Amino acid sequence: MNEILIYGAVISSVYALLAVGFTLVFGVARTLNLAHGSFYALGAYGTFLMTTSLRLPLTVAATLAVLIVAALGVVMERVLIRPLRGTGLAVPMVTLAVALVIEQALFLGFGSEYRNVPSFIAASVGVGGVDVSGQRLFTVAVSWSVLSCLWVFVHRTRQGSAILALSQDREAAQYVGIPVDRVYALVMGISAALAATAGVLTAPFLTVQPGMGLMPMIKAFSIVIVGGLGSVRGSIVAALLLGYAETLIAYKVSTSWTELVSLAAVFTTLVLRPAGLFGIRTR
Amino acid sequence: MFKRLVRLLRLPIILLAIVLAIPMAIGSVAAQTSTAIRIGVPTAIQLRVGRDTVDAVRMAIEEINADGGVIGRQLEMVVADETENPEQGISAVRKLTTDEKVDVLIGGYASGVVLAEMPHTAQAQTIYLGVGAASPSIAAKVKSDYANFKYFFRVSPVNSTHLAEGLVAFVSGNVAVNLKYARVAIVGENAKWAQELVPTLKKGIADAGLSLRMTELFDPQTSDFSPLFSKARESGAQLMLVLLSHASSDTFVKQWYDARVPLMIGGIDTKAQDADFYERVGGKAIGEFTTASAVRAPVTPKTIAFWDAFVKRYGRAPVYTAPGAYDATYLYASAVQRAHGTSADVVIPQLEKTDYVGVMGRIAFDDAHDVRAGPDYVSVRFTQWQDDGARVIVWPRALQTGNLIVPPWMRP
Repeated sequence: MNEILIYGAVISSVYALLAVGFTLVFGVARTLNLAHGSFYALGAYGTFLMTTSLRLPLTVAATLAVLIVAALGVVMERVLIRPLRGTGLAVPMVTLAVALVIEQALFLGFGSEYRNVPSFIAASVGVGGVDVSGQRLFTVAVSWSVLSCLWVFVHRTRQGSAILALSQDREAAQYVGIPVDRVYALVMGISAALAATAGVLTAPFLTVQPGMGLMPMIKAFSIVIVGGLGSVRGSIVAALLLGYAETLIAYKVSTSWTELVSLAAVFTTLVLRPAGLFGIRTR
Repeated sequence: MFKRLVRLLRLPIILLAIVLAIPMAIGSVAAQTSTAIRIGVPTAIQLRVGRDTVDAVRMAIEEINADGGVIGRQLEMVVADETENPEQGISAVRKLTTDEKVDVLIGGYASGVVLAEMPHTAQAQTIYLGVGAASPSIAAKVKSDYANFKYFFRVSPVNSTHLAEGLVAFVSGNVAVNLKYARVAIVGENAKWAQELVPTLKKGIADAGLSLRMTELFDPQTSDFSPLFSKARESGAQLMLVLLSHASSDTFVKQWYDARVPLMIGGIDTKAQDADFYERVGGKAIGEFTTASAVRAPVTPKTIAFWDAFVKRYGRAPVYTAPGAYDATYLYASAVQRAHGTSADVVIPQLEKTDYVGVMGRIAFDDAHDVRAGPDYVSVRFTQWQDDGARVIVWPRALQTGNLIVPPWMRP
């Protein structure tokens, strides 16, 4: 039971990091970013590259990787998404193309083999009679700290207020002088940084290979559908629900069944409550 | 405006077309008129197993060519990436047999891919010497439909049934005797070779008097193994027998080490055979044992010489596909020499008569064109990752270079 509680918390916190970034971009900029999983992969590979080739300390490499991916998110918004905004399917298509390009670039640059990223905390810690790797507990702590900081930023700063205003009414926000494009770029940067942080934190104990962005992308999408597109609160609740449901299934039934959990959740949500748990029903 | 653009670009486009067409035409003519014996290598070139296949075939070709070639002809190699995807594998063998018109194929890695390729190589009537896939179904096809599938021979590894028997022999003859671990759990990826191996493994475990506490096959895409470790621990097992080839061994081993799972691990783990595996996982493979077709030990007079030459040439130790690919090239050359030709009809009977002492051991084929396994032929060997990344041969006894150890947190 303790194992389910602990490991469920680990996976839920990673899902929350991924889903909040994904839903933030959708809720504020109305952008369906299918390259979100690629930011996750780039965070992990960036850390790997800087710790192995440049021999940078892990903390420095991880911080740099997150900042570089955030900058990439901003550039992507400015160069690829902004010119296509308002043209229907063009934005999801261009982000999908970016995801494929990044995956192929990682494949060509690093090969298809698994890569090792060292742990921030190598020690194993006993919690409630369960030996848990320090890295997993670190992941939980950092994830919720980052999400708390994000909450403070959005609710207590001027730029955060601009983000909130844009998520509620774009036109009204423009009328009061909020620089829309700049806020969209900021949100994209934050979203990319959150995904990269998830990649950096999980790389030491999960898989690092070129296709690693796909499953997190699917999970983030599933969580956002269950929680309600554009709802940060919904994403966090759905991340906890899915994280714990998957862990429960893995422990009590079989690991082979875990991937079905998110699909079943999406299916059930779309049938029973299409707007998601906290989504706003629109006509 | 548009017409002007077309006028401007016309000449560069024509020149580009000519530049591209000339090498293609030359290549095509060369492929048709070359007198060299062409060896096609379909393999997963992004993986170490694939790169080692290519490098070992290249090494053998250079040595044979330096000795004057075969029946007065030089050997040359053409590589095609089959990845781990059956569709890509079919494209690769079609390219090699139809476009490149190779005389023989040496390669293959994933059993599912090789099984998908076989009908196409049979249709092309091209001999295929497998060096990477372990599924018994591959050789079973030869036995059940010889006329169609006689073109396939498995040079390495020994099939997964033999691997299972070898694993049971090692566990009952060494692990259970020296470490007193007799309660085992089988944990492996849900892939064809593993599915086929499990029944033999279960039977062997029962026959050897060991206690099987749990069997679970997981999706090869699984990235979090904590639930599996928990179940294995709760089952009362002392040893987790792993069956890993396509799944992430790196992640599996790292999570096992990080959680200090109180069970020893080992079995058939393809990626743990990589020379850099210990370093790649930050030393967390300590205590893991795995099958090892490629070992630096005096298995035959050729084994250490091959190992050292490979390391000198490529700067890394070979994985299991390398000795297989090297031996396959030599035994094909020998069969062609005896047949005085490269036609499949004359080479196949010669390959069937193979009795060749290679790098892996004494190689001969059974009536399903499967490499014979056992003490007199190719035996299943085990190495263990020990302190400071040393890879110690722990089975068979005749080649043993050290004793088994347990992971640090399980030491008394």
